[in-house]
Amino acid sequence: MIDIPLADIFEKYPDRRYIMFGGKGGLGKTTFSAATAYYLAKKGKKVLVFSVDPQASLTDIFERDIFGKGPTEIIPNLYAQEIDADRRVKEYQEEIRQKIFDMYGMNKIPEEIESYIQAAAAEPAMEESAIFDEVVDIVVKGGYDYYIYDLVPLGHALYYLSMASVYDAWIDKITGLREQMREYDQVAAVMRREKELDEDAILKELLYIKERIHKSSSILTDKEKTAFFFVLTAEEMIIKDTLKAAELFAKFDVPLSGYIINRVLPSDLKGKNIPEYLKNRLAMEEHYLRVIDTTFDKQILASVPEMERDVTGLAMIEKMAKAMFG
Amino acid sequence: MTEEEKKKRGFFQAIKEFVYGMAAHDSYRFAMKTRASMEHLFILITMGDMLGVPILPPYYSLRLLPYVVPQISTWKRRMLREKDFTDGLA
Repeated sequence: MIDIPLADIFEKYPDRRYIMFGGKGGLGKTTFSAATAYYLAKKGKKVLVFSVDPQASLTDIFERDIFGKGPTEIIPNLYAQEIDADRRVKEYQEEIRQKIFDMYGMNKIPEEIESYIQAAAAEPAMEESAIFDEVVDIVVKGGYDYYIYDLVPLGHALYYLSMASVYDAWIDKITGLREQMREYDQVAAVMRREKELDEDAILKELLYIKERIHKSSSILTDKEKTAFFFVLTAEEMIIKDTLKAAELFAKFDVPLSGYIINRVLPSDLKGKNIPEYLKNRLAMEEHYLRVIDTTFDKQILASVPEMERDVTGLAMIEKMAKAMFG
Repeated sequence: MTEEEKKKRGFFQAIKEFVYGMAAHDSYRFAMKTRASMEHLFILITMGDMLGVPILPPYYSLRLLPYVVPQISTWKRRMLREKDFTDGLA
């Protein structure tokens, strides 16, 4: 059933410092992120687990209000962080306004510009982009042995990944345009026999943006340093969706490390005097576990039982870590 | 500088400007015009959603906004005025 134990992956590839759990919503990504962080912290590694989801739930699982408070120590070596995207967007807007004041010595932002600044912040992609940008800050800053991304559900995660490549191509295009514009400036300057041109501030800004995007997409696709795990359960639709998503992720060059099955019913239920309903569930599960076995051949890293209650608080997280890593 | 030299310099300056006007001024204007079109194209790509043409998530385009503040109003006017050649046929 289990092909390579999850703990072995961490032993074997100590360089894989960026850990991600992906999967559909509600399958246990946050639970696994927290449990893995707990396991690594107990082994003496300094770990930061952070959420890239605007609807983050690390606060709930650790039973500590960490929203927007920066990295918060939960137990020794284990830090958790939830990004307050809203606040970041607001601060960012203020930064832009300040820059306009400074550059033009205005005492009021022109109405057109102000309404654009406000409209831009209302865009749905704004929150994601703001988080995306903050993750770069977190990773660039360093200071931890492991970074565990508590990812958003699949669709969003794909968006997040594709955003990196779309941005990349987009920035390349406009940087090219900008450089062409500069050539025309130069031609004009030569004809007028003017001296050196000023540095193109926009071009500089574009190159900065490009570097930021490169940084985050290079981490997501770094085979040496990143481990991406898929979480799934023994159900038909979930198996199908996971397969589809895995193909898409592979297309974006995300290095897949393997699959973890969650919510497996305790096997000692079998043979006991249990109601028809549970018998059916067990039979169905057995069937789909076999499907998983053949579909994701040799890539199953752990099979985690359904717990007797939901996983919140350190005691349950510890139990979960045991179930995952043995 | 003697009076003679000043005259000479003025003469050469006039010739220089005359030659520039004959040969290069048109090219200069053309270059600047192309440059301006590109500037507008650039703003359209980065700030398109101001006209209701969203091109990409605006997080990073907001970073560029301060640099194009002076061009925004002429750009908007131009974009809304510019016509397709097919309009002439109608």
